[in-house]
Amino acid sequence: MNVNALIPTVDWRALAPFTIVVCTGIVALIIEMLRPRRNNNLVVGVSLFGLLVAGWSLFGMLGGPSDESFAGMILNDRFGQILQLVMVGSCAVCFLFSEPYLREKRIPFAEFYPLALWSTAGGMLMVSSKHLLMVFLGLELLSISLYCLAGMSRYESKSEESALKYFLLGSFASAFLLMGIAFIYGETASLHLGRISEVLGAASASPLSTIGAAMVLVGLGFKLALVPFHQWTPDVYQGAPTNVTAFMAAVSKVAALGALVRFLWAIGTLDTVWFPLMWWVAVATMTVGNLAALVQNDVKRTLGYSSIAHAGYLLVGVLAAFSAPGRVSLDATAFYLISYAAMTIGAFAVISLTASGQHEGTRFYDVRGLWKRAPWAAGCLVVFLCSLIGIPITSGFFGKLLIFQAAFDAGLPALAVLLAVNSAISTYYYLGIIQAAFVTEEGAVAPRFGKPSASLNLACAVCLAGVLGAGLFAGPLIRGMGTAEVGPPVGVPVQDPLTIHTKNTSD
Amino acid sequence: MSGFGILTAQIAIPLAGAFALMLVPNQYTKAIQWIAMLFSIASFAASLAILTRFSGGTYQMQMTEAVSWIEPLGIHYRLGIDGISLWLVVLTTFLNIIAVWFSFYVKSRVKTFFVMVMVLLAAMLGVFLSLDLILFYAFFEASLIPMAVMIWVWGGSKRNYAALKFFVYTFGASIFMLLGILTVAALHRNLTGNLTFDLVSIQKSVASGALWAQAPHLQALLFWSFAVAFMVKCPVFPFHTWLPDAHTEAPTAGSVILAGVLLKMGTYGFLRICLPLFPEATVQAALPMTVLAVIGILYGAAVAAMQPDLKRLVAYSSVAHMGFVVLGIFSLNHIGIVGGAYQQLSHGVSTGALFLLIGLLYERIHTRLFADMGGLKAKMPVFAALYLVLMLSSVGLPGLNGFIGEFMATLGAFQSGIEGAYGLNLLLPILAACGVVLAAVYLLWMFLKVFYGPVTNPLLHRLKDLKTHEVVMVGLLLIAAVWGGLYPQTFLAPMDRSLAAARLMATSAPGERPSWADSGVQIAEDGTLFGPSEGPLPEFVIESSSPSTVGVGR
Amino acid sequence: MGLVNDVPLQWFLALSLYMFVLGAIGVMVRRNPVVMFMCIELMLNAVNLTFLAFARYQPSGALASGDVPTAMAGQMMVIFVMAVAAAEVAVGLGIITAIFRLKNRADADDLGSLRG
Repeated sequence: MNVNALIPTVDWRALAPFTIVVCTGIVALIIEMLRPRRNNNLVVGVSLFGLLVAGWSLFGMLGGPSDESFAGMILNDRFGQILQLVMVGSCAVCFLFSEPYLREKRIPFAEFYPLALWSTAGGMLMVSSKHLLMVFLGLELLSISLYCLAGMSRYESKSEESALKYFLLGSFASAFLLMGIAFIYGETASLHLGRISEVLGAASASPLSTIGAAMVLVGLGFKLALVPFHQWTPDVYQGAPTNVTAFMAAVSKVAALGALVRFLWAIGTLDTVWFPLMWWVAVATMTVGNLAALVQNDVKRTLGYSSIAHAGYLLVGVLAAFSAPGRVSLDATAFYLISYAAMTIGAFAVISLTASGQHEGTRFYDVRGLWKRAPWAAGCLVVFLCSLIGIPITSGFFGKLLIFQAAFDAGLPALAVLLAVNSAISTYYYLGIIQAAFVTEEGAVAPRFGKPSASLNLACAVCLAGVLGAGLFAGPLIRGMGTAEVGPPVGVPVQDPLTIHTKNTSD
Repeated sequence: MSGFGILTAQIAIPLAGAFALMLVPNQYTKAIQWIAMLFSIASFAASLAILTRFSGGTYQMQMTEAVSWIEPLGIHYRLGIDGISLWLVVLTTFLNIIAVWFSFYVKSRVKTFFVMVMVLLAAMLGVFLSLDLILFYAFFEASLIPMAVMIWVWGGSKRNYAALKFFVYTFGASIFMLLGILTVAALHRNLTGNLTFDLVSIQKSVASGALWAQAPHLQALLFWSFAVAFMVKCPVFPFHTWLPDAHTEAPTAGSVILAGVLLKMGTYGFLRICLPLFPEATVQAALPMTVLAVIGILYGAAVAAMQPDLKRLVAYSSVAHMGFVVLGIFSLNHIGIVGGAYQQLSHGVSTGALFLLIGLLYERIHTRLFADMGGLKAKMPVFAALYLVLMLSSVGLPGLNGFIGEFMATLGAFQSGIEGAYGLNLLLPILAACGVVLAAVYLLWMFLKVFYGPVTNPLLHRLKDLKTHEVVMVGLLLIAAVWGGLYPQTFLAPMDRSLAAARLMATSAPGERPSWADSGVQIAEDGTLFGPSEGPLPEFVIESSSPSTVGVGR
Repeated sequence: MGLVNDVPLQWFLALSLYMFVLGAIGVMVRRNPVVMFMCIELMLNAVNLTFLAFARYQPSGALASGDVPTAMAGQMMVIFVMAVAAAEVAVGLGIITAIFRLKNRADADDLGSLRG
């Protein structure tokens, strides 16, 4: 056997952002061990600097052509780069408001920063590979770090419980994912998604590959919190420390969505099986998420259900892109992810303010008086929630607009209509949060929490800039993203009664 | 024309005001109030400047502006004004001055209040001025937030419920309008190959009949997706339940703006979007819409008569009065539409004034219940006199503005009913006319209860009459009401070409419809089309030189 | 070698599927987190067995896209799965210990403070 053939071409540049983030994590951990016990400012500073460099290197690659290296293990394309940028940015914003929160809750856990960095790196790996081994490793890197982070508040039984739930269900889902990968490997003799796609495309669907694909979708669906694999989400979101929840809501969702898109691309030829399935999953995810959110009395839990609903919206964008690949791109999904990350992290950042001492303080009545205590943060919260509702001119509105448009162009108007119905339902609970933060009842107890720190205000400002900026400058942003293609065409098995019969136009 | 112009200035002035207010520290209440007043007056001045530049002899969009905004999506910043929107803009800025003036009474969170008023003003003006459907939608929704916040923070005891209901109702209805907008734009793209939300170019392809030829079955569906959003806003009968709650709980300035302007966004939407873009569907919907309008007129009147609360009564009377607007518009003949459009304005003035007067009274006695009132005439003669006149304008007394609108709208419905056009019959206008009588009954009854009889409430003995500035405040509205009643032509003349065009866009056969994009075709005094005397017309052909009488629908 | 060749692929698959299903049922039925976690380990081992079986029954000399023998991909995967499973054990037992310290017992039914 030719030995040289075994040594793959290596393009270190493609791996640079990932490497930078991992190394920053290592450096942060070392500093954490050596630092004076008084503060974590150096750790935060180094971590933010590392993320900045990683972001910068990603930004530099953004224009380049897509290619694979490391024997097809690493894929360097625009879609992956955008998603990685979102994750790096989300992680940085989380770091901005974590320190005051950790101090307020007296969580002496500076390992948060390295762990979150590695978790981010795992997410980055997931979206920038077409190799199932890498996807698996990325997923585990992301998840194992998150298990630790969820249980980071060791004196709070809620936090520990959420960690255990997340851990047990997460590894249960990983087992399914792995079994699915094993089946697909058995069918196609490869772990590379490109090769899998070729083999599956050449032959007709076999039970082995179908079951395998379904199991992988279960595993990814769990990470993405798609119904019916969503039960862990509200518990974990509520129980985990708020900064971890924010991180989880943004980074792990983006990563899982990226991996899902790659995987669906590979099993594109099995679409007669998965397309109707995912169609219903999208509908169920939106509806269940929103309906369950209506009856919650904890802000974090409500936002947890809302994140389930948003996963459903994202799935609509993905399905649209897959059912009409020539006409509809993944731009809508990518744009929505950007705005989703900004508005979700922003909302959690503001909510993190209401913790006081050991008291998490995220019940609706705990949030009262936020407006008085922190007008800037409360004002930002309104914008974030308006964006989650989808009110113009926030980026959430344009995200929904793009997804509506994608769904119409792809001939899936029923999904668009259901999404609209869901948006209308969702106003109710988002307004409930705004109401809790703003309305001062006579005789209400003064809020227990303190003034916001400068870094939290900065985090809010960054998210606000993201939410409003992406709205006002949606044009340049979309053009800058280019067109994120998903690959070979897939038919549309679900015929929708409202389909507009489009004359094929090239524009 | 491209670039920014006077219309942008009109929207930008209140926004600038909002920013200026944000910079003032909280404790300088006086400064905040006067800055808000200054920007309101500037905004009114801008609308007067627009008024002087406006030419009434055409139905075309005037002073148009277009700036590219989100190019990949075909979304542009497009503004323009025509006869339909002209007076609404003036009314908005005018009522805003009154609302700001009255809001000098607001004592808590003064800065935030005025910021909200200014943002609301900008959003409402944006709705009336935008020619891009997405921009229209954006302003339409953006107006929700400040209004909801006003109810929420400065509202009465049930404000949470009222604000939530207001927001969820209107947002829930208008999200489907967004889907409708996207579908219409997609149809237009299929036809022409470029994605745009420009109302003018979409209407052009509707006028030629090409747009709906591709998907005739979708027209009714899309019409209703828009119509429901506008019906909730108006509000038309089954969708009106948010209105009494919102009005009752809102602060006075909020009520004035809500009644005066916000409701008109619904009827304006019918005139601006539904009639021009969904002609066949509009004609089909004429009967159901007028039926709902008449139900609203009777129901609003009946329920208003039973209210124990002054503000709730006027709120329900709004449902009835807005019913006349919808009745007029969907009777789809010239006089009806003009009457409907006129009724919009007069309702804005007279109901706005009534809410203002109720607010002035509430500031004095802190109650709105009839049970606590009585005999006010002796204590507040000036107030009683002003109240009487403005109430009579709301009743529709000849010589005051309310009469013109309701009379013309009902007349239009009669005319269509006699002709049997659009499936209408005579029963509807007859019932609507009964509604006028009912309105007189409950409003006079209200007047009786409040101003006559013995003084039962000891609080009322210490009551003072209106101060001079309050008289001026109400007097401005009174002048508008009287002027509107005596010289309606002032207001009607600039409107009627545009209203005639809107009607012809809906009722003419494809290919014979006027189009904003087509400056060659004009509308004569009698509401018919005529082309230029020479030269070919772009796109579609109308018999030139001789006025072609256009038949009533198909 | 000969012995393995005599055992058909289906037998391996049947065994691993049995293990997998057993593990899955265990996770759903049992209430002790340690036992639940052991069941997950059982599932992971079933996965490993599946990978190895498929790798063994690849046609000899078949090459995947990167000129790597296809059999190697499966075997490689098994090593990674084992390593990751070990990492999961470390974290999982850590979390279980932490809960035990807080509550003096660890049972999935006790985890009731998060509901809604």
